[in-house]
Amino acid sequence: MVWQKESKFIYEIFLEKHKIILVFFALLFILLSVRLFYLQILKGTHYRKVSDQQRMYNTHERAPRGIIYSDNGSMMVGNDFTYVALFYPFEQQETPSDETIEQLSKILKRDIKPTIDRGWRYGRVVKLADNLTMEEMFKIQEKKLILSGISVVKEPRRVYFYPEQNSHVTGYTGEINAEEVARLYEQGYKPGDYVGRGGIEQYYDRFLQGTDGGWQLEVNAKGNQTRAFKYIHPEIGASVHSTISQQLQNAAYDALKNSATGRGAVVVLDTKTGAVKALVSLPGFDTNKAGTREFAKYLKDKDLPLFNRALQALYPPGSIFKIVTFAAAVELLDINLKETEICTGSFELGDRWYACWLKSGHGRVNLIAAMAQSCNIYFYDLALKLGVRNIERFARKFYLGERTGIDLPNEKKGFIPNPEWKKMKTKMSWLQGDTLIFAIGQGALSVTPIQMADMITAVANRGVYLRPYIVDNIINIKGEEVFKHTVRTRDTIELSEETWDLLYESLVETVENGTGRRSKLSGIKVAGKTGTAQNPHGENHAWFVTFAPADNPEIAIAVIVEAGGGGGLNAVPVARKIYESYFGIEDIEEEAVEKPKRKNR
Amino acid sequence: MINEKSFFHRFANAIDIWLLASLFALVLIGGFAVYSASFNYGISSKYVTVQTAAFFLGIVLMLFTAGFNYQYYRQLDKAVYIFSILLLVSVLIFGVTINGAKRWINFGFFSFQPVEIAKLAYILVISSFLDKNWKNIKKPSALAYTFAILMGHFILIMAQPAFSSILPYFLVTLVLLYVAGAERFYLLCISLFCGLSVGIPLLIEFLKLQPFVANPSSYIGYFINSLQSNVIGIFYVAVVIVALIFVIWWLLWKFRVKISIIYAVLLGFAVMFGFMASMSVEKSLKDYQRKRMVVFLYPETDSRGAGYNVIQSKIAMGSGKISGKGFLKGTQTQLGFLPEQHTDFIFSVIGEEGGWFFSQLVILLYFIFIWRALIIARESRDRYGSLVAMGIAAMFVFYAVINISMVTGLMPVAGVPLLFLSYGGSSMVSSMIAVGLLFSIHMRRYTYY
Repeated sequence: MVWQKESKFIYEIFLEKHKIILVFFALLFILLSVRLFYLQILKGTHYRKVSDQQRMYNTHERAPRGIIYSDNGSMMVGNDFTYVALFYPFEQQETPSDETIEQLSKILKRDIKPTIDRGWRYGRVVKLADNLTMEEMFKIQEKKLILSGISVVKEPRRVYFYPEQNSHVTGYTGEINAEEVARLYEQGYKPGDYVGRGGIEQYYDRFLQGTDGGWQLEVNAKGNQTRAFKYIHPEIGASVHSTISQQLQNAAYDALKNSATGRGAVVVLDTKTGAVKALVSLPGFDTNKAGTREFAKYLKDKDLPLFNRALQALYPPGSIFKIVTFAAAVELLDINLKETEICTGSFELGDRWYACWLKSGHGRVNLIAAMAQSCNIYFYDLALKLGVRNIERFARKFYLGERTGIDLPNEKKGFIPNPEWKKMKTKMSWLQGDTLIFAIGQGALSVTPIQMADMITAVANRGVYLRPYIVDNIINIKGEEVFKHTVRTRDTIELSEETWDLLYESLVETVENGTGRRSKLSGIKVAGKTGTAQNPHGENHAWFVTFAPADNPEIAIAVIVEAGGGGGLNAVPVARKIYESYFGIEDIEEEAVEKPKRKNR
Repeated sequence: MINEKSFFHRFANAIDIWLLASLFALVLIGGFAVYSASFNYGISSKYVTVQTAAFFLGIVLMLFTAGFNYQYYRQLDKAVYIFSILLLVSVLIFGVTINGAKRWINFGFFSFQPVEIAKLAYILVISSFLDKNWKNIKKPSALAYTFAILMGHFILIMAQPAFSSILPYFLVTLVLLYVAGAERFYLLCISLFCGLSVGIPLLIEFLKLQPFVANPSSYIGYFINSLQSNVIGIFYVAVVIVALIFVIWWLLWKFRVKISIIYAVLLGFAVMFGFMASMSVEKSLKDYQRKRMVVFLYPETDSRGAGYNVIQSKIAMGSGKISGKGFLKGTQTQLGFLPEQHTDFIFSVIGEEGGWFFSQLVILLYFIFIWRALIIARESRDRYGSLVAMGIAAMFVFYAVINISMVTGLMPVAGVPLLFLSYGGSSMVSSMIAVGLLFSIHMRRYTYY
């Protein structure tokens, strides 16, 4: 076959080109076939997975957190429900349209600003508004047609009973932040989760977290649900049974709140187990306001309400450190109780004068009286006899400068100074004057209220140091006990019986006739020691550590009233109120205060 | 010529059974795919009805076209050209604007895309021109005339605008020029010029996506950035390339490979003008357009925007695996993740629901169709018939290759339908008319003057 009217030669040239074109077209189709082979056969499994991923959507139903109970089974933290408005991104729309936002703002009467998530992927929802009321929820549901992509879901919300009183015991919850996600991702935390912040909520977050549930759905490109596969019921977190006595907690809160400044901390320990029966730090905060705008004011407050003073605040112990100096003196020095010293109100060392807190002086005092009256002069003398090394050694023996290991987050260690530290810090040598103020618990020495509570508990137990704890046991949804605290003795301080006897006698004397007499109770023998910590920023801090009944101790209390002035005057009544609540004694404070017995010996 | 046989007898004789069978198979697969694609719109029967109606209208028109002697188009080539120009002008006047482009003329109960007919008219006209001037085809003037004819359509289509229709036009012209015997070196220069003018802006855009270039302190990054901001910079590159061409020519000359200097000069001009044209293309392209041109290489960088279509299409194709998810069971299709699924992305629907088996089958059927069209071109009784059949074959090839490359992520997304399969009455009718032209040529292969 040839072209008519054309020479065969010309047609053959055409045939050549025709062949090349055919080959060229065939190559194009082979190229396409190779691509198909790659996409559908080699990468088929991968793309099948991707296509399933983008059509499957798991609605996330947040599980309620576990409930926190007090020691008698009353609820400290529970849950109720709130409604949250969410936006489900669909097709090519990552954020709700301006119109939708405007409508929603109008319905809720709030200013809604969606945050654009840069790391967006399919199935990620954008939270628009939370804490919706039932009415608002219904209003949104009514107008669902004009609010495209908006849906309202039920979410559990934390409810705190006695929110101010328990604020530092329970802590609060908040949405996990980016840094925490990065750190905790391997433990199963993911963006959008709520985690505990402070207190039991933080320390036992692992147990309190429930197992989230939700629907496994198929969605189309518009984000609408087309089929539902299965529903996983969210599981509540484990119940935490704390050792807090709500009654004592409230009593301690009220007493501290009504003290001189209303700032400070109280720790009440069970001397037999080390269980925390009350732990108050003031000012506190309303844990129910967590996540709201009002909560932000706590962050700005100069009184630092979010700061757990019981565990994190470092104060000089003041005269309650004399317990340590006392023990060291009895152990190491040959003290004769018959021997007395004269306190004139001041003490000369080198070219400086060191004063006693009572300007007029205590007159003639022996060891017991010096302790009871908290005579500084007597202890200055002991300090010089003991030397800084011995005092430091005994401070460590009493576990100062070391965490108690309580099961609450962010506990501070405190600090014990020594000559090497001073040399390094100030390039100056340790002077005998430093030893003097060290012996009476002032200067660089710093302790936390929980440490003081633990120390006085050990004194009550004649040397047995218990690890304080706040959670007794945790029971999961199946009723299994997943955690149980075992009472552990940290250590026993080996001191002679004589030392304990004298210490006991002096602490009882302090309450009976000394600086702590405002805590004297009728019918119950109380032992204790007051302290006044020098505060460079203002008024002195008032300390009181105590335990009762003195003969068979049950509870120990450490009180500090920040900037409260003298310990005997301001911290002691707080402890007394707690005792009244614990022992069920009528308020006889007036009588006690009306009978000041000033013995100047 | 005396032939007493009836038309149908002759037609039955002329039927290329392979061509017709592959055509029907493609249309059948397309019908199922369109049904499935529109199933989730809830108007599945409507699209399939329209498509079927267009197909049967197409068969009638195909028979008419087959009956009409194609040689009349050669004699009436001026009238055909004017007719096609009028069609393209009319759409600019009477057309309705959809998505910012005037491509449709609305006749009330149906609307129609004149460019679908115009492209067939163009093949007829250009073939006629090449056939009539075949003796002068080696001269540059023939090339100039050819591109002048192309320009008439080009400008009117750009005015719509319908950029995506331009590429097949251009490629069909090149194929026809090659087959008609145009100087290959000129074609190379033209391709080089066009390639450079469009390729350079894309290359720059592509390089900007590379991490080692995005860093402006690196040498290459600095180089690219200076090219972009500095007009002179790009000329340095052009001058270097032209110099290189001359050096190579000189070296070849030295080694006794004697090539006329005119070739080197032409090549140099092509490069120079290509670079110059690329500057104006670079300026005329809007940022989003440039982005769209290269985003298919890295669709994940803009998964919700320009890259969305490619990503979804690739997922649909790939997730079909070998055997497919089953008719009406494709999740990408039925849940609406796949965009434009009944038109431009119909091949992805087939790939997802029919799997590799059906998508490869479509490619195979297409190839059979093209192969038969090329056979018709070979067996034509004259050059004109060969050129027309070749042009039609090339048109089907380029539409198919562009469309399938686009949905499989080998090419930027361009709105080119897959003929016979994509939903669209105009393209179905025009494709059937094109088949009619093939039959018209085939029927008369034994007819003598």
